[in-house]
This record gives sequence, C-alpha cells and structure tokens, in this order.
Amino acid sequence: MKTIEDRIKTVPPTKLIPLIIFAILMIIVPVFASGYILFVAVLALLYASLAASYDLLFGYTGQLSFCHGAFYGIGAYTAAILTVRFGFTFWEALIPTCLLVGVLATIIGYPALRLRGAYFAVTTFFLAHFIYLILLNEVELTGGPLGFRGINPPEPIGFISFDSLSTYYYLVVVFFIIVVLFLYTLVNSNLGLILISIREDEVLAESMGINTAVYKLLAFVIGAVIAGLAGAFFAHFFRLLHPTTFSWLLSEMVVIITLVGGAGTLIGPIFGAGIVTFLLEFLRFAPELRYVGWAAALIVILIFEPKGLIGLLERVRAQIKKKG
Amino acid sequence: MTSEIIWIQLFNGITLGVIYALMGMGLTLIWSIADLPDFSQGGIYIISAYSAYFAIILLNFSYFFAIPVAIITGMAISVTFERLLYTRLRASPNAALLCAIALFFLLENIAVYLWTPKAKIMPSPTKDMILYFAGIPVSFQRILIIIVGVVLFIVINVFVKKTKIGKAIMATAQDREAAALMGINLEKVYITTWALGGALTAIAAALISPLYAVYPGMGTLPLLKGLVVVILGGMGSFIGALVAGLILGLIETFGSVYISVAYQHGFAFIILLLTLVIRPQGLFGRR
Amino acid sequence: MLLKVRDLTKSFGKLVAVNKLNFDVNEGEIIAIIGPNGAGKTTTFNLITGHLKPDTGSIEFQGKNIAGLKPYKVCRAGVARTFQIVRFFPNLTVFEHVLLGAISRAGLRAKREELTEEVDNILEFLNMEDKRNVLAKNLTIPDKKRVELASALALKPKLLLLDELMAGLNPAEVDECVNLLKKINKDLGITMIVVEHVMRAVMKLCERIIVLHYGNKLAEGTPEEIAKNKKVIEAYLGEGVEYA
Repeated sequence: MKTIEDRIKTVPPTKLIPLIIFAILMIIVPVFASGYILFVAVLALLYASLAASYDLLFGYTGQLSFCHGAFYGIGAYTAAILTVRFGFTFWEALIPTCLLVGVLATIIGYPALRLRGAYFAVTTFFLAHFIYLILLNEVELTGGPLGFRGINPPEPIGFISFDSLSTYYYLVVVFFIIVVLFLYTLVNSNLGLILISIREDEVLAESMGINTAVYKLLAFVIGAVIAGLAGAFFAHFFRLLHPTTFSWLLSEMVVIITLVGGAGTLIGPIFGAGIVTFLLEFLRFAPELRYVGWAAALIVILIFEPKGLIGLLERVRAQIKKKG
Repeated sequence: MTSEIIWIQLFNGITLGVIYALMGMGLTLIWSIADLPDFSQGGIYIISAYSAYFAIILLNFSYFFAIPVAIITGMAISVTFERLLYTRLRASPNAALLCAIALFFLLENIAVYLWTPKAKIMPSPTKDMILYFAGIPVSFQRILIIIVGVVLFIVINVFVKKTKIGKAIMATAQDREAAALMGINLEKVYITTWALGGALTAIAAALISPLYAVYPGMGTLPLLKGLVVVILGGMGSFIGALVAGLILGLIETFGSVYISVAYQHGFAFIILLLTLVIRPQGLFGRR
Repeated sequence: MLLKVRDLTKSFGKLVAVNKLNFDVNEGEIIAIIGPNGAGKTTTFNLITGHLKPDTGSIEFQGKNIAGLKPYKVCRAGVARTFQIVRFFPNLTVFEHVLLGAISRAGLRAKREELTEEVDNILEFLNMEDKRNVLAKNLTIPDKKRVELASALALKPKLLLLDELMAGLNPAEVDECVNLLKKINKDLGITMIVVEHVMRAVMKLCERIIVLHYGNKLAEGTPEEIAKNKKVIEAYLGEGVEYA
C-alpha cells in the first residue's frame, strides 16, 4: 500500500538507484569529459535549475507563466552590472540580485496572479517581451544589442579558484543540488500540498481556508528568485550577455523542457533539461531546426502524453509490471 | 511641431491602428469561440508575409496578386492547426494555449531556419507612391491599408449578421452548448472561424510588410498588440477591435513622438494592464 | 447566538435572489433551509461563506460581521461548507484531501506525524480508511461527498453548511447520512445549516426549518409546524418535492 510519501514524492524509491548513479556521474564528469561536454553540462545544470523552479510555479501550483526566462535574464544582468560596474564580488552580488528579482517578482506577481488563466498567460508573455525590450534598449545599463562584456569568473574562495571550467562546473553542481534539495523539501512539505491543492481546485482550496493569492505569489516569487540566481551563475560562466538570449523564446524553451520532461514531478523537468540541452548542442548543425523539433515534441506531448516523459516512463513500467 | 507633421502622425497612427484592428478581429473571433488566445496567429503572420514576398520575388506576382497568396497561406495553416491539433485539445484550455504558443515558436524558428534572420524588403507599387492631401504627403500604401481595413470591417460585420454561417458563429460565441443544441454544426463554425482568423492575420501582414520589412521576428509585436486590442475592445466585439486598434495605434504613434521612441511598445502593455485592472471586460465586452 | 443574519439582500441585475433575509442559528442546532428551486438557498450559503458579496445586510458570526469577507477568511473564522456539485482535488488521495484541511487549520508548521493521527481518526469516523490512498478522481460520487465532508471536519469548524449533501442517495443511504450528521453534531459539537430537497432527511434531522421562496423567508418553525403550514404547501405544489 502506497503511503502519502510515495504519492507526493517526486522520486519513487525505485528511482533512487538511477539517481545515485546520476549523482556519481555528475561528480566524475570533469575527469573524463572534454571541455565542450563540460560546457554543455554547465548549461544543462542551469537549465535544469530553471526548469525545476518553473515546475514549482507551473507543475505544482498550476500557474501558466510565460516570463520565467525573463527573471533569468534580470538575474544575469543584475549580477553582471553589480560585479562589473559597481565592483561587487560575485558572492556579494548574489544577495542583492535575489532581492531585486524577488521584489520585482512580487510587484509583478501581486496584480498579475489575480488574473484568470488566459489573461495571466498573456500578461506574462507580454512581460517577457517587455523585459527583453528593456534589456535591448537601455544601452547605457545593459550594453543593448552590442552585448555586455567583461564579466569575470567568481572570485576565489580560499584556495579554490573558479577560473577553470571544471571548478566552475562543480560550483554549478553545488548550486544545482542546493536548488533541487530546496525544491524537493518544499514540494513534499505542507506548503507543497497547499500549492498542489491550488492547482487542483483553487475555489475549493480557498473554501478550505487557504489564502490562495498569497501562496500563488509565494510560488511565483520563489521560482523567480531561483531563476534569477541561475542567471547570475550564467552571467559569470558565459561572461558575455546579449538580450536575444533572454527573449520570450527562452521562456518558451523552459516551458517546453518542463512539459516534455513531465510537469509536476520535479525530476521530469530536470531530466528534460538534460536531454534537451545536450541534444540541442549535438544538433548544432541544424540550428533552428533543433528548436522546431522541440516545439513539435511539446505538441506531441500535449496531445498524446500530457504527463511528459515521466508519464511515458510510468506507463511503460506499468506495462512491464503487468507482463511480469 | 508643425501641423503638417501632426497630420502625418495622425495618419500613421490610424494606419497602424487598422493593422492592429485586423489582427484583433481575427483573434477576438477565435478567442470568443474557443476560449483560446491563438498565439499561433503570430506564426501565421510571419509565414503569410513570407509567402507574399516569395510570390513577388520568385513567381513574379505583382503585389496585388501576392496578397491573395498570403491570405490562402494564412487560411490554410490556420485551418490545418485547428483540424489537426486544436480539435483534440478542446477539453483542456491550458493545453490548447500551450500548443498555440508552441506553434508560434515553431513557425518563427522555421522562418529563421529557412530564410535567415536577415530582413527582406517587400516591394510594392503602392509603398513609394505618395499622394498629397492638402499639401500633406501620404504614402499610398497607408491609404490602401485604411481602405482595406474599413472595407473588411464592413464585410465582416455583414458576414456575421447576414450570412447563415456568420450568425452561427456569433451564436456559438455567445453560448456554445445552446448553439449545439440548436443544431448548429460546430465543426463548420470552428473551421470557418479559424479560416477567417488566418485570413485577417495574413491580410494584416501583407499590408504592412512593404512598410516595415519581412523578417522572422516580425510576428511577436503584432500578435501582442492584437491581444491587447481584443482585451481593450472587448471579447468577441468587432467594433471593439476597431476602436481599440485605433486607440492603440494613435497612442503608440503620438507616444513615440512625444514621449519615448524606444518604449513605444510599452504603451500597449500599459493599456493591457489598465484594462485588466479597471475594466476587464473591455470597452464593448459583453460577458 | 452563533449566526445572526439581518436584512440580507442580494440581487443579480433585476433579479432579487435574496430579499431582506433574517434568521438566527444557535450553537448546537441543526437547521434546514428549504424551498423550491431558485428560492435563494445556495445564494444564501454563498453569501455566508464569502463567495458572494451582499448588497445590504449583515452576517454576524460569533459576534463578528463576516459579510463580504473573502472565503478563506470566513473559513478561518470557523465556517466550513460542502458544495451543491461536489468539489474535490482530482489528483490528491483521500488522505491528502483531509490532511489539507488539517494543515489549513493547524498551520504550515504543523508536523505531519501529529496530523496523520487526526486525519486517520476522521477517516475512520466516516468509514473511509480503506479508501485512504485512492485518488479522489477515482471515487464514486457518494465517496467524493464523504471526502468533502471529511475535509470539512478536519477544519474543526463551528458551523458547517451542507449544500444538498444527500442529492442522489437512496433511502437507506439517506438514513445513514442523517445518523452520521446527528453524530457529528452531538459528538463534535458542530452546528449545521442544511440545504436539502430530500424532505425525509430534513424532517428527521432538523430541529428547525426555514422556508425560502423567491428570496423571501416564507415560514420558519419546527418540522411539524412547517409540514402543516398552508403557505409552504402552496409554494411547493407546483414543484416535485422528494418524499424519499
């Protein structure tokens, strides 16, 4: 008999072994992987953080937001501006970045989350584009279409310096693990159950004494802050920022990754991010076709398996159990 | 600021407004029938514009014959999406919305892949023709846009009020279940609605392209403006779309001159927010 | 006095759904609001629970005016409800459903282990332990109703509003439900207002009945008084009332 832990849990016990293998792989990648693979791995971890934080908002709380990539961009530029223009260290810049993104998300989210589904979606879509326009036009602040250059890697901690790709990779791994542990704890907590109930039936949740407005805002802001932090890591990894990286197309990729992986499971979007990022890189020879392929994948998922790859996996496992 | 320039801006604002209204009319139709802000129209906008462009460049069509090419392309894609995809997602509005955005994303990326991000100039005999009204220079392209816009507005209103299928569409927009119970063929309504939507989008794209160039990213702003027009004008209202379109076009044009050029697109966003907060049903909204 | 409704009025355009309604509910009572369809019963419920804002009038619950408060605030004040068309969280198990009610009442910091016992007790009380881990979307309608009720009980409300809980139940199930509600009232000390069409249940369950007709209070009294009331009988003559 399944206990509630198994039901709400994002990682069924039988998945624990693959996860441990995955964790071990993550740790030893720099030993045998080339610089290129490592580079892609960092990107994959950042996208995984993006997707997992989006899953909190979309998969667990049911909010159809299309501006998640924008917070990634705001975080990236904020951290970069703080370190390059104002002389902050990377580490010092993290907290103000969090605060800025958090405050912005609160200001945006408070009115926006009162809107019904489609209107909320349209507003966030507009927001994503609008933020892109700001990044593009405020040339003094962001460098505009010429890009923002000269970002340095994070300052060393003690004897650990982050100049090399492998150390930066490990740093991002640590960030990723913290994010995942945080989100995992959250979605399995009382707060997590409340968020899920809001997704399932907001009216009923409210009748049961839950201040749905506050919790929706909480999920929105937490998701945004994590995205912003990931952006800060991206800025000091890629060391060059360009507004086109953060257009609504990025937000859409986050949506695709989350849904294709399997929304509402945390693990789905994470693996989705891994698969998507690596495939996108390996298919470099067909630049935009890669994105076309992923959009098509999302559409296929929407029609045939709304639970994404995780849902597919569960179906396969159920079939195997039947036969066995 | 001379009065001449004000008249020119006025004219530009109205032109822009008509384009927005055309997008809005298509979107409001689809949204009121299917509860779906059809983001894929943004992608259809792009592809229709390119189809007209290639008809002119590769097939040597004149601009005026390229417009029907765009319309047919727009209608075909729109109806295909409806029949193949939206039909299956009627049970889940969220899934339909996600699908629409994915389609927009898909089409824009196809455009980048096939035709590169580089802007293409669409030739048209009317765009360089300048007429003078009371000493004010006016591009004939803009006059064309306004004329077509007004004509289409009248045609659509006649269509929904006088034709059988038009009335069926209006009835379905009001109450889907009642319409089905009255024996209205919902599938026909859906197909026609999407065809009309695609056609209007394509016309808007074909009309404005000579003035602004054809490039893969061209669909985002018209789509967003179209959505704002739907919300400001009121769901399902054509007159609302026309009025809202004109308001938006004028505010953008004059705003870009007097307030800020870089953020002229921000006016639409502000209007969106104000409408949703102050009067969510829009100017002419029913429900 | 637990609930004081004074001059409660709500119109939708020209339609007056509830017209200057006055009634009291004392602690520990089980009262019914009955009336033909469209009489304003569910509207009254929605006004009390905050799903609708009244045009005029007051709703005093334990001395506090709760009229116009948001639904979650009304719930926290001690009023729980079930819905006419049963509402549920499709992908939550029965256990999680009731747990949510407990969390809502006990707060975010409450420990799951402590709440688990309470939830299991409620499930036992309602004979639902065997369905503990079934997803709500896979339940039959009577079971969904029981889950709705269980979740409401987890909130430990002072006042429980039940909107046509017994619709669709056969006579045996109705009797079972009546006994259950009586038990809840006595053992848990929960005051109840019941909206019902199933007269057999109303007569057995309630000490006092309020009859609404086109938004007005037509009559108020004990079941015996109401059964003999000429105006009530007239109002119902055109309607099919279930004497289940």
